[in-house]
Amino acid sequence: MDLLAHLEAYVAVAEQRSFSRAADVLYVAQPVLSRRIKVLEQHLGGELFDRSRRQITSTELGMLLLPHARDVLGRVEHLRQVARDARATAAHTLGVPPDGDPAALARVIRAGAQHGVPIGVRELAAEEREVGLAAGSLAFALVRVPPETATHHVPLGLASAGFDAGRPVHLESLRPRRGVAGQTPDLLVTAEDGIGFAAERFAKAVARAGLAESRVRRAASTATAVAETLAGHAVLVCAEPFARRHGLAWSPLAEVSLHRGYELASSARLGGEHAAAVRDWLEPLLADALGADDRASAAQAAETPDPRFRLATRG
Amino acid sequence: MRPDQLTYVPSTAEGLGVAEWIAGHWQQVGAAGHFLARNVDTGEELGFDVDAAVPLASVAKVPLALMVLDRVAAGALDAARPVTINPSAKSVGPTGVSAFRHPTTLAVGDLIHQALTVSDNASADALFELVGVDAVDRWLREQGCAGIRMRHRMQRMYECAAGVAGDDFGLALELAIRDDAAGQHSIETLNPAYANVGSAAALVALLQRVWLDRISAPEATAELRRVMALQVFNQRLSSDLRADTVRVSGKTGTFLHLRHEIGVVTAESGDRVAIAALTRSHRRAGIAHDIDLAIGAAARSAFEALRR
Repeated sequence: MDLLAHLEAYVAVAEQRSFSRAADVLYVAQPVLSRRIKVLEQHLGGELFDRSRRQITSTELGMLLLPHARDVLGRVEHLRQVARDARATAAHTLGVPPDGDPAALARVIRAGAQHGVPIGVRELAAEEREVGLAAGSLAFALVRVPPETATHHVPLGLASAGFDAGRPVHLESLRPRRGVAGQTPDLLVTAEDGIGFAAERFAKAVARAGLAESRVRRAASTATAVAETLAGHAVLVCAEPFARRHGLAWSPLAEVSLHRGYELASSARLGGEHAAAVRDWLEPLLADALGADDRASAAQAAETPDPRFRLATRG
Repeated sequence: MRPDQLTYVPSTAEGLGVAEWIAGHWQQVGAAGHFLARNVDTGEELGFDVDAAVPLASVAKVPLALMVLDRVAAGALDAARPVTINPSAKSVGPTGVSAFRHPTTLAVGDLIHQALTVSDNASADALFELVGVDAVDRWLREQGCAGIRMRHRMQRMYECAAGVAGDDFGLALELAIRDDAAGQHSIETLNPAYANVGSAAALVALLQRVWLDRISAPEATAELRRVMALQVFNQRLSSDLRADTVRVSGKTGTFLHLRHEIGVVTAESGDRVAIAALTRSHRRAGIAHDIDLAIGAAARSAFEALRR
């Protein structure tokens, strides 16, 4: 038997001095309440209430046990409260893409401390962020979505050891030139752009632009990818803040459908209200850490629907 | 002429750099000429020596086709009207009806297709006969295409060459090159005063108006754009540009030492660049693969510099 539910019934009847009022307080049907009292009386080996009079009164046993029953229920409530508090103040683990700006992430952590929500930042690959979110090991995560519908749009571009082109780069212009000697650098793609729909789109765009697929390589590590790029042997597909931090020239890709799109998602285990409150201050800071150009791209999309988006939706 | 003696069209510093590179590259492969590329939508352009009148060779089939399509759009000519071409009386050429050995009947609309897609001289001359060379010239002036003159049928080029050199192609080529250096012309259709001529500026302006529907009727310009996209030759303008995402609609022109192509490069991103590349060479070669590629390299560099 559920002792707690039965004790609750007992305390409620004793306090209300009425089975019907107690049933109302507890939101249970009166027969259920009466039954619980009877079961509890059998369990304790004696009557708790005197039902012979019009007004219900407690028996001597009922008077004796009432403070103890209240004590048990109070302790249970305390236990629950502690558990709730612990859940609310536990460190919120946040899954972010690799290679974010450390200074911007530091601002996220500091803001968490100010709001009384300790934030733990974990750099994870795109699929691990989604798995972590579903499994509950992450409270929040930035998940990849197609850029045309994303809240956060991060321009993707080509980093190189040369100079800024000062204008968007079209993939077609990376084809080798006929009759001109000299090698064409490989395209290095990091894990963040090398999986799922983003990888599929990139491979398709590369093929349609007439580039050999063998020129696109997955970067095994960020450090070696930057090193190869600095040495002039490759161009790295990355966002602008990352290129700037490593002293690389950068130009955006003209194919907007290949840019990065992010949504901030929260774990289902988090209370909706709580998650929304955290999101209010967390989201702008994360957009900054990603290097998102949300306002600019939203305005641009509103002005002229980019024909390249149509290409993207084909993919 | 040395690249530093050319007249460059006003453009951005980047555009000027590209134009100089093109002129230098052409000189390296033994070609001189006239080049203009213009973004159809923004008007940004780059090039050099764009106003000289140059014998057009088969590039002349573009204004001819537009004039015929204008007649069709106006209801003065039926695109389905059959025209019979006889081998005995037809114009010479290696492709299309020019190469047929038996009488054939084609509709006017298909003559345009043959003249533009495989540069068929017999089809083009059948169209000239139908509307008249003078009428094409007059129509162009009415339309404000001052820099383009039409004075003869396609066949006239070969008659003039044969008149001075017989069937010796090598001799005709040598004469053409020598005459260019001397500035006097023994082959009449290479003399800008008597030939079908156009300047790079006038040809690009014509392409721009066709692509923006600012000449003739929309049905006529749309059909011209459609057929020009079907050209089978891709050794020049499109040699270094073609991709699934980039299309070139063009028309070549080749006669002795002349190697031309005009066209519009269209990318899936929406960028459109009209180009006229008109070259003459002092090399005694009928086929000069590197000059064709140099024209392709010029087109690619210009397109990449002018697209947004």
